[in-house]
Amino acid sequence: MIQIENLVKRYGELVALDHLNLEIKEGEIFGLLGPNGSGKTTAINCMLALLKYDKGSIRIFGEEMRPDNYKVKQQIGIVLQNLAVFDELTVHENIDYFCGLYVKEKKKRKELVAEAIHFAGLEEYVKVRSKKLSGGLQRRLNIACGIAHKPRLIIMDEPTVAVDPQSRNRILEGINELNRQGATIIYTSHYMEEVEQICTRIAILDHGRSIAVGTKEELKSMIKTGETVTVEAVILNAGQLQEIRELASVFDVQYEEQVLTVRCTGAKHNLIWILNYLQEQGVSFGRVFSELPTLNDVFLEITGKQLRD
Amino acid sequence: MLHLVKYSILVKVKDFNMVFWPLVFPILMATMFYFSFGRITEADFETISVAVVLDQEDSATESQIFIEYLKKLEQSDEKLICIEEMSKEQAKEALDEKKISGIFYVGNEIRLAVSRNGLPESILQSVLESYENGKQTILKVAATHPEGMHLAMQQLSEYSEQVKQVSLGGRTLNGNVQFFYALIAMACLYGAFIGLGAALSLQANLSSLASRQCVSPTSKLKRILSEMCSSFILHYVNVWILLLYIRYVLRQEFGGSLLEMMLVVLMGCIIGVSMGIFVGSISRLGEGAKGAILLGISMSSSFFAGLMNGGMKNVVEQHAPIINRLNPAALITDAFYCVNVYEDRTRYIRSLLILGVIAAVLVVASFAKTRRERYDSI
Repeated sequence: MIQIENLVKRYGELVALDHLNLEIKEGEIFGLLGPNGSGKTTAINCMLALLKYDKGSIRIFGEEMRPDNYKVKQQIGIVLQNLAVFDELTVHENIDYFCGLYVKEKKKRKELVAEAIHFAGLEEYVKVRSKKLSGGLQRRLNIACGIAHKPRLIIMDEPTVAVDPQSRNRILEGINELNRQGATIIYTSHYMEEVEQICTRIAILDHGRSIAVGTKEELKSMIKTGETVTVEAVILNAGQLQEIRELASVFDVQYEEQVLTVRCTGAKHNLIWILNYLQEQGVSFGRVFSELPTLNDVFLEITGKQLRD
Repeated sequence: MLHLVKYSILVKVKDFNMVFWPLVFPILMATMFYFSFGRITEADFETISVAVVLDQEDSATESQIFIEYLKKLEQSDEKLICIEEMSKEQAKEALDEKKISGIFYVGNEIRLAVSRNGLPESILQSVLESYENGKQTILKVAATHPEGMHLAMQQLSEYSEQVKQVSLGGRTLNGNVQFFYALIAMACLYGAFIGLGAALSLQANLSSLASRQCVSPTSKLKRILSEMCSSFILHYVNVWILLLYIRYVLRQEFGGSLLEMMLVVLMGCIIGVSMGIFVGSISRLGEGAKGAILLGISMSSSFFAGLMNGGMKNVVEQHAPIINRLNPAALITDAFYCVNVYEDRTRYIRSLLILGVIAAVLVVASFAKTRRERYDSI
């Protein structure tokens, strides 16, 4: 559905997109994950033909994306990072206006607007001006304006920024619902939990490059970490830390402020081995927990830094 | 297209800046003008009561001449003054009780006493000055040709009538109306703020709202045209409200045909809105800076067209007439004069044509700049 090849975008000396290659298939919820400044929004703006780029090509629905390719634009819906609704208009007027940019027929538009209002759960607020809505409701309106015309491709650029947990869950459920209805979704975020929760395939971006692409399972299988064991309120000396490093499957040990973090390959028996060792040494400890690898671990192993640095 | 125009008007009508500057502010200024000097015209028609006190018998001839002069004024069609001979005390009492506006003490020297400053007092001062200006001639006639005194007095009292300003079209020009013309011209140019808003809503690099609209399948041309239409319509209504307010609430007579004025206002609105769209489209400055530029342009245009100083337009005409040919505010006021004062159709059409050409250039340049635009950064 979307092919991006060797896309290069520079802002003066800064390379925002560095030979970016992506392929997005129909029916996916495709996540673009990366820290702030990694090039997610720039990639989106290039896809939408808003930004000039220096090199490369973008094809959507098999056609080159240009500012005047209205046939392609007709099938795209966007939900931008910043609110893009009219403060002066009511909820209904906003949705009707944006839907009207895509759908000329009044009767059909009326139905679509009603569906979008229902989808976003804004029935009680149709006559309320958007600036009078709470932050979460404004975000939902922002989404309703982007999807009312039932596009084939929906591009969502960090739609849950500054949203309360209740609205966030509702938005994420809504995205799944849109996908079930047949829309392909590109979802950018720096919240790895969200991306893990809803995306069927993920590209991790850093410095304008796609450093890994795949399903979350594929991405996690690319890295060494199989399990991370954390032990809190533990006092260890250098010799003990060295002995933990030498345990089977352990490949990385961090010890800071009485918190021990042990990364292990594979996911079996690591916790038991570590706890046995601490008991043998007579070391007392507080809370203990074990985590399977996250996308942050993927990012950390590939780039050497945390996703939220 | 109608969908776009409808919502564009709806958004603009609910935007404080789009209503205040192009509509409310000019109405406030018109009201201020009205209270500052709008009542001058009304006062012209009130007869001013004045006492005449003969304080010396020495200069009987000159006293008689002056009293004769005042009587001529009293009997004139304008009935400018009403004189009453009184004693010093009576006159003072009448002045204190505000029954009269002033006292002429007539003797060797003619003096005027007033108790306050105001239009009637200023008129009495002018009467005295007019007499002083013609006095030497009158005295000479009295000494050499006493038989011609009546004619000389007639001429002196008609002096003010002879210099009354009368237009080529035969309509009397009320000096205050020119300020209202300049104000309407300024209001037309304030359409630039609506145009600026329209231009900003078309550029994806300036707001998310514009980005969302830019990625829709509605063509840029359609969006530009709908923004222009809605801006023109809205501002045309704004200026009409102002015009009707001045005409029917403040009761300022324009004299000319309202239909012809409609056309001037239409062209004025088009030029104002086009200017805003142009400034909003061409530069990379922020919204605040663009707004400041437009405010500067509209205020300076209005200044040179006579908004703050009635004589400014003539000064410009004498020293740099090209400015009056290109200054939109001057062209608008000029067209108003043509309709209401000169009845000069050629000049009226020329002013409208120049306005039309300037507007067309601005619109085409704005369109060329914004269509199919992709940005270096957003």
